[in-house]
Amino acid sequence: MAMALEGVRVLDASGPIGHYAGRMLADLGADVVKVEPPEGDPARQWAPLLPGVDAPESGMQFLLLNANKRGVTLDLSQPRGRELYLELVKASDIVIDSLQADEAAELRLTAEDLEAVKPDVIHTSITGWGLSGPYGNWAYSDIVGCAMSGTMQLAGMQDGPPEQLPDMQGYHSASIQAAAGAMGALIYHQSTGEGQRVEVSMQEAMSMSQETAMMQADILGTNRERGVPMRGLDLPGLGLHETSDGFVFLVASGLAGSGFPGLVGLMAETGDAADLQEEPYATFITEKMNANFLLEILADPEQVAGVQGMLDHMNEVVRAFTKKHPKLYLYVEGQKRRVLAGMVSTPGDILESPQLAARNWFTDLEDVGRGVTLQYPGPQWQLTGTPAQLRRPAPLLGEHNAEVFSEFGIDNTALAALAAEGVVTA
Amino acid sequence: MTNDNGMNGNGASGAVSTPRILEGLNFLDLTWFGAGPIATRTIAGMGANLVRVETEKRPDGLRVAGPRPVDAAGYNVSGYYNNFNTDKKSVTIDLTTERGHELGMELVQWADMMMTNFTPRAIRQIGMDWETVSKANPEIIAMYQPMQGMTGPHSEYGGFGAVLGTVCGINGLAGFEGNAPGGVGTNYTDYVVNPIHAVTALLAALYHKRKTGEGQMIDMSQLESSVAALAGPLFVQANGAGDFAREGNRVKYAAPHGVYQVRDGAERPDRWLALGCIEEGQWQRFAAAAGHAEWADDARFATLADRKANEDTLEALVAAWAREQDGDAVLASLQAAGVPAGLVLNATEVLADEQMVDRQYFRYLEHPEAGLRAQDGSGFKLSKTPAEPMLPAPMLGEHTYEVATEILGLTPEEIGDLVAERVLF
Repeated sequence: MAMALEGVRVLDASGPIGHYAGRMLADLGADVVKVEPPEGDPARQWAPLLPGVDAPESGMQFLLLNANKRGVTLDLSQPRGRELYLELVKASDIVIDSLQADEAAELRLTAEDLEAVKPDVIHTSITGWGLSGPYGNWAYSDIVGCAMSGTMQLAGMQDGPPEQLPDMQGYHSASIQAAAGAMGALIYHQSTGEGQRVEVSMQEAMSMSQETAMMQADILGTNRERGVPMRGLDLPGLGLHETSDGFVFLVASGLAGSGFPGLVGLMAETGDAADLQEEPYATFITEKMNANFLLEILADPEQVAGVQGMLDHMNEVVRAFTKKHPKLYLYVEGQKRRVLAGMVSTPGDILESPQLAARNWFTDLEDVGRGVTLQYPGPQWQLTGTPAQLRRPAPLLGEHNAEVFSEFGIDNTALAALAAEGVVTA
Repeated sequence: MTNDNGMNGNGASGAVSTPRILEGLNFLDLTWFGAGPIATRTIAGMGANLVRVETEKRPDGLRVAGPRPVDAAGYNVSGYYNNFNTDKKSVTIDLTTERGHELGMELVQWADMMMTNFTPRAIRQIGMDWETVSKANPEIIAMYQPMQGMTGPHSEYGGFGAVLGTVCGINGLAGFEGNAPGGVGTNYTDYVVNPIHAVTALLAALYHKRKTGEGQMIDMSQLESSVAALAGPLFVQANGAGDFAREGNRVKYAAPHGVYQVRDGAERPDRWLALGCIEEGQWQRFAAAAGHAEWADDARFATLADRKANEDTLEALVAAWAREQDGDAVLASLQAAGVPAGLVLNATEVLADEQMVDRQYFRYLEHPEAGLRAQDGSGFKLSKTPAEPMLPAPMLGEHTYEVATEILGLTPEEIGDLVAERVLF
């Protein structure tokens, strides 16, 4: 089957902040050539490492985010390296890099330099702060983006520190925005033949993830703080509940689905509804535990006072119920009854998810160069007419030097000479 | 009923002359809440002619959620809704009625692309399933973005971001071992991960269509999209490279890596320095800039392996040092030394942040009921075809008359009847 971006050529010279962007375009069918310095991308060395495989081929993050790409090495600071890089640029539709403004100027690889050799290039820059502004050349790492975007302020316990978002969300957000921007530019190129610059700042890329915090600050002049439930209410059937083996999250207070009555039905099934099907609870639950009542409470918390005792009791009964059962049971059986329930998944749970298994979401791929077969999580989307394909593992360091550079008239002798000069890896 | 309230702020002068990527493209938006509307907002920002179908019978929950200006009420003043729906037209059609469905199908025929994030069950109820849609418009690109995809045993499961957050694993991954898995304080994957993943998929399908003429259905599971962005620990565990354990603000490839409370400001207690020294040089420069060059010479901290082995000790030293520092001053001195450092900003500080202001990330748009309000800008800056929001979010049904006459070809009399019958409602 055809892939959406077949025939599109991408040069990906980015560091770790941009790896995911190129990976997505590669999954969609683009031919992505990753350019690394001769010593290799830093993420090749990042733990966790794949046991039994030597450096620099074992960094798991690198292996994951650079699958489906071919790989070459080039020392961009050497004249010959730069020259070859510009040859690659000429042959590419999209160039992704993560050079900060000063670095790009020093290497003479700014957007202007690229446009000089390829006027219609789509130059996609992914950096911590963008290429302009007072922080343009500031150092960054993932956690710094989480912090300066406002997103980290919202995560954590009230009496603990702000918490980072797991698994490099600053870098991922930047890459996700960059891929979308590059696709927009590619569409424009398709209809006009013109290239342009796409520029992503991690700080900006994450801002939308502040949820309502930015709007609240703008409209009301107040700040959302971490660890505070949005409504400050502890209603029965709402929020995180301990189970026999972990946690389940319930939204059974009437906003949608079968609500609290649905939850009581589930509890009754295992004889755990206690007295909630008896009066006065039965009538209260049918008549009051619905969205209208909830909204009334939200408008006037003092109204709760009169029924606080009943709410507390219902809360206790629900918590005793969830504590008795496994999370998967509560999730699946709850959802069957349209109780909005979600289990708190661990990576192990996700690897065993019946839903993901039914959709064949994980794929095994043989990695001949490393002598392993690895299991990869699947694509972000299923384009049913042009499905994503996992075609190759992440490149070994310089794996495609001969293959790619031969296009530019570099034979094996010339390549050996470049290796001797340290322009490429041997 | 057409409201020509004009444009304000940054976009006004460029509106006519600046080319836009999706000019002339018709997009039917049947989404609600966060993950769908932010995707279509981004498409609208690229210049598509985007019509969002809503109904007063069951309005988008974000229209009533707030935050809203004090003393303001109604469907049109929520910052939550308004920030996610810039540049759109709003038409009210009750698609569950027979006539409403007919009008919906006319919009399907009008559209080059469409998107919905309802559950498969709700999609069938409004007759917008792929079979029906592709029969009416064989060339359309239709994205379905329900919580768990269109197929599989859990495809009908319901829930908002808070439910998805637990199932996709972010609650289980975030935070410190031993604490309850309370998540990251937001429905995180609703706001960038799922919507902007969706934009890439929509545009890839459009690229293919413009090359081949072929439309297609995109089955986008919010669960899969979320897990894909959290896939590192899964990939590690699935392949025998270590079982996952929550590690708070630490990472396996760097130290020091975390947040450290700085001196309380007069009006700003609870201030934290974020520090992530990834390269050895960054660690050495940090020690020197902190006035503790001896840390870098300490055998306990000489290599990354040493620092990871003695991370508690290292963090205690950094924390004690940080507590004596002024946040702004220490940020400036660390960055001057090339150390990846930042402050944990709150939303007020982000809005006023020098870098964000200098780059004009936030756009200020005048909304007829909500006033002059900050909107998130585009997450990517395009040099020739800016995608920043230019028009404020529509009021509920603001464009019903315009869409009914110009796209659906209805007469004023017909429109009046349909309003009375609560079809256009």
